[in-house]
Amino acid sequence: MSDRRLRATILVLSLLGAAVAGYLAVTHLVHVPVACATGGCETVQTSRYSELAGVPVAALGVGAYVVLAASAASTSDPARVLGFTAALTGLSFAVYLLYVQAVVLDAYCQWCLASDALLILLVPLTLLRVVRVDPPAG
Amino acid sequence: MSAGGAGGTLDDVNRRRLLLASIGGAAIIAGALIGALALSSGGSSKHTSTTPVGVGRVALLEFADPQCPYCADWAKTSLPTIVRRYVRPGKVQIVFNGMAFVGPDSDAALRAALAAGRQNRFWNVIELLYENQGGENSGWVTDSLLRSIGESVPGLDPQRMLADRTSKAVEEELVSSQAFAQQSEVSSTPTFAVGRTGSQLQLVQIQSIEPSALTPSLDAALGQ
Repeated sequence: MSDRRLRATILVLSLLGAAVAGYLAVTHLVHVPVACATGGCETVQTSRYSELAGVPVAALGVGAYVVLAASAASTSDPARVLGFTAALTGLSFAVYLLYVQAVVLDAYCQWCLASDALLILLVPLTLLRVVRVDPPAG
Repeated sequence: MSAGGAGGTLDDVNRRRLLLASIGGAAIIAGALIGALALSSGGSSKHTSTTPVGVGRVALLEFADPQCPYCADWAKTSLPTIVRRYVRPGKVQIVFNGMAFVGPDSDAALRAALAAGRQNRFWNVIELLYENQGGENSGWVTDSLLRSIGESVPGLDPQRMLADRTSKAVEEELVSSQAFAQQSEVSSTPTFAVGRTGSQLQLVQIQSIEPSALTPSLDAALGQ
């Protein structure tokens, strides 16, 4: 996969992630019930784990996805590293939140799981951008 | 061309360093976020004297005396509704601030409940005390009753509960909960306070012990 295609894929996945996290952040802030098929979204969204210092955890997710999307817009080394760092940080935090859902809350939020899936895809894609050397242009 | 092969060029070395720095950075940031979230969510109400029940971001603090008949009525009739509607869905956590102003049996009952709390069985014991509530200071809180209650709670060591009644930890909890009630100017029970978990809670004036007396305050706090 060319770097151009890789960047496009990362951009699309990041925008999807930003949309998912944004939806959770907005519904949390305006106190609107979340559309939910798993039945546990409200439990997760209203739990004490849904905020960090007054900031919705989902808003932190939006921030991470925005960083990821921005990193995909650049071919520079710092951007590649930033993208991988954001994806790995997001996935690590997501694993903890998955633990909270499974063990502490005994409830799952489908939107959080969707975000987890996107991060699982984004980590290897962003890693690929860091470790490989592109052929010279032209 | 891939840097994954046998490298040795400056680019490869730099990339590996960048990769390690990236992994280290991610570990530090994620660790900080997880630590901060665990810390902020682990703290319940600042006024807790018992293990809170529930994980909600809104706290319902109850000032109660184990000998108070209204407290028993509230626990039997309204508490299950509050638990079903707010605690189980993860919206609200309930914190009990014990008081022992009715008399010696209050003190004896509260000590036993707090001692059970040392084994994470506070709520089981306080519920059973309410169910077995006798006449005010009639001497109903006997060792025999407490042992019987202790034996009926799964996972509770009754002997340890009885022994812990006079422990320093229980003594301190008893003093601090009474002091907090006094500081909050609570003079009757049950009295309730509601607010965001970990923040200053606001006392709620209730007109009845029906669940509807508290639900507007809980809904308002959840909507903030």
